[in-house]
Amino acid sequence: MGWRIRVVHETGYRYGSPVHESYNEARLTPRSDCRQNVVVSRVETTPPTRSYRYADYWGTTVTAFDLHAPHTELAVTATSVVETGDAMPPVRTATWDDLEGDAVRDRYAETLEFTDYVSRDRGLARAARALRKGNDPADAVLAACRWVREKLAYQTGTTGVHTRAVEAWDARTGVCQDFAHLTLLLVREMGVPARYVSGYLLPRADTEVRQTVRGQSHAWIEAWTGGWWGHDPTNDIPIGHRHVRVAVGRDYADVPPLKGLYVGGTAAALDVTVDMTRLA
Amino acid sequence: MVRAGGPGAAVQDAQRQGPTGGSVSPLFAGYRAPDGPRGGAFDEMFHRDGTVRAPYRALHDAIAPTAAADLAARSQALDRAHLDQGGSFSLPDQERPFPLDVVPRVISAGEWGRLREGIVQRVVALEAFLADVYGAAQIVRDGVLPRRLITGCAHFHRAAAGLTPPNGVRIHVAGFDLVRDEAGAFRVLGDNLRNPTGVSCVMENRRTMARVFPDLFTRQRVRAVGDYSTHLLRALRAAAPSNEADPAVVVLTPGVSDPAYPEHCLLARQMGVALVEGRDLFCRDNVVHLRTARGEQRIDVIYRRVDDELLDPLQFDPDSVLGVAGVLNAARAGNVVIANAVGNGVGDDELVRTYVPEMIDYYLGEAPLLPDVATFRCWLGPERDHVLSALDELVLKPVGGSGGQGVVFGPDASARELARARRAVNDDPWGWIAQPVVHLSTVPTRVDDRLVPRHVDLRPFAVNDGDGVFVLPGGLTRALPRGSVVGDTGPGGGSKDTWVLAGRGAGSEPEPTTSRQQQQRHVLGVLPEVS
Repeated sequence: MGWRIRVVHETGYRYGSPVHESYNEARLTPRSDCRQNVVVSRVETTPPTRSYRYADYWGTTVTAFDLHAPHTELAVTATSVVETGDAMPPVRTATWDDLEGDAVRDRYAETLEFTDYVSRDRGLARAARALRKGNDPADAVLAACRWVREKLAYQTGTTGVHTRAVEAWDARTGVCQDFAHLTLLLVREMGVPARYVSGYLLPRADTEVRQTVRGQSHAWIEAWTGGWWGHDPTNDIPIGHRHVRVAVGRDYADVPPLKGLYVGGTAAALDVTVDMTRLA
Repeated sequence: MVRAGGPGAAVQDAQRQGPTGGSVSPLFAGYRAPDGPRGGAFDEMFHRDGTVRAPYRALHDAIAPTAAADLAARSQALDRAHLDQGGSFSLPDQERPFPLDVVPRVISAGEWGRLREGIVQRVVALEAFLADVYGAAQIVRDGVLPRRLITGCAHFHRAAAGLTPPNGVRIHVAGFDLVRDEAGAFRVLGDNLRNPTGVSCVMENRRTMARVFPDLFTRQRVRAVGDYSTHLLRALRAAAPSNEADPAVVVLTPGVSDPAYPEHCLLARQMGVALVEGRDLFCRDNVVHLRTARGEQRIDVIYRRVDDELLDPLQFDPDSVLGVAGVLNAARAGNVVIANAVGNGVGDDELVRTYVPEMIDYYLGEAPLLPDVATFRCWLGPERDHVLSALDELVLKPVGGSGGQGVVFGPDASARELARARRAVNDDPWGWIAQPVVHLSTVPTRVDDRLVPRHVDLRPFAVNDGDGVFVLPGGLTRALPRGSVVGDTGPGGGSKDTWVLAGRGAGSEPEPTTSRQQQQRHVLGVLPEVS
């Protein structure tokens, strides 16, 4: 049986001088799917704005808002209550031959292509070949996740949102975003369609009902091996009742939680806090 | 690949006789001689036996008696007049002056009628394709078009998915690059559904010709081109999202540094709408406003001449200062229309556009009226087999290549080069396309005090207002420098006034005249009662 989790995600900016124009898009709304049920979700801003919602190409709910009254601080609060499901085993219906066939390569071309974040590298291609050897596609994906978790040290502050997979690999450190990008690189190199998922992870498995824990934005991957299924390379665990899924895309660029433009002074990002409460 | 003037001369044809048979005008002396077209290019003025083709007869008879000295003088007058009109001298993709030739290019009413139908059909099919590809993408699901061609296209903008224009039009203006093959048939070489340039040149060329050679126009009826802006404005107003009798339209330009800036000015002036830059507009709550001296004005339609990637810094390049932040969401919310629509580039992509014949069949259930320059796609088995067997007659191009890099010109390639090309195609069928060598048609063009054959192409313009597609009679004819390859107009090129002859008899102009404006706006009628 899954959990019911409330996520309160606060983020924002402080400006050096009053800002008169600001345009923003937030991708902070989880969506219901076969694994999770979204009970309630809203995005609010301070100062208040008249927001506009739409579903983007990837199906993610986007909240767009603009501000024209002078302000020196902008806070965005996303609150969601989500019922999560238990972990599901990897899908094993596709063989390597299926994956190499033209039908699959065409259908999933988008999630096989390399991107700015997930760009090709000769050394990593070799590593991918070695990880693939002797495994079925699903096990090869799991091997890639494990390999990334072993090789990369989790360390905040060494990489940023613009760090590419190969840069994190060169530094051998990174955060969940880098773990996910590096895994995507290996998995796509094997010829397995793979995509980037943004969301939240309730950090402790022993969280009690009614307990609130300081959580964080998280990222993991999904691979297609006859069906889509997820795995969390940062922790090398399946996607289970502690994961809340928000958005999916080819890489981080398709799913930024908050992006914006403004006219005026310099901006400093405020602390981001994610409070996660297990409700049931 | 289309080559103007190929190897393999037919010189015997050259010296045979003067093109007009017995009475050769000195202007046409040696018309087919050394610098004339070799190979089998189609000359638009003369039949192979030297007689004049019907559409050109009146023009030929007017020009032929001209003395050589006279020709140069007239040509200089033309240059002066062109300069006097000032401003929009530049042509697509180039900033240098582009001289106007004294000899117009003539298209008969019948030829034009067929061409126009083909262009209309193409626009309608491409509209259906864009609506589909930014919606359910049924053509991909049905396996007619490989998905990877869409998702791998740099101009497929995911930000435009689900963005549906109120009157359904995405291609408000289209330009097409056409050539005439050896048999004289028009073929499509390229499409531009994004931001086609050059229509101001069409209008200015006509104005200049009419001023300097008024007598030429007295011999036959030539279809007018001066009302282009009327059609454009009608299409833009028809696209307006609001329930508004007098929608506010603006022309959005990147600014004076853009080579096509004079065209932007001309169109704005002729339409009587504001010419604005990105900084003049802003969005608030998904409504676009223009900053004016009298305050803010709500804008309904933006005819933008700014590229997609620079149009909305919130969606695309955040460093762009040419665009308007938030304009895409304003369009998504249905408060403004962006013309042409964002993401149209997926329809004129070099690979996707090879499927236009399939689109015409898939969406319209028709056969293409206007053929393409054949493109063989090496990822399709039968077409690859043809390419491999006829490689020495074809031009093989790497996908995504630019500037002719990696191109294998079959007729000139050695056996070893051909073998290497065959291997490359087999190794990576998705990486190659091939086209036959097409010799572009020629039209007499002044060089010094003589008229010589020069290869020409044609860029017609189409405007879609949602009720019908208007095709401006004629278009921009470019005369290419000797021996050049299309798309690589080196120095020495020029343009020609393009004449579409009016058909015989009245009412022979089958343009869709769609009058959406009701004339009796001020008289209130009473609706009949319904029980």
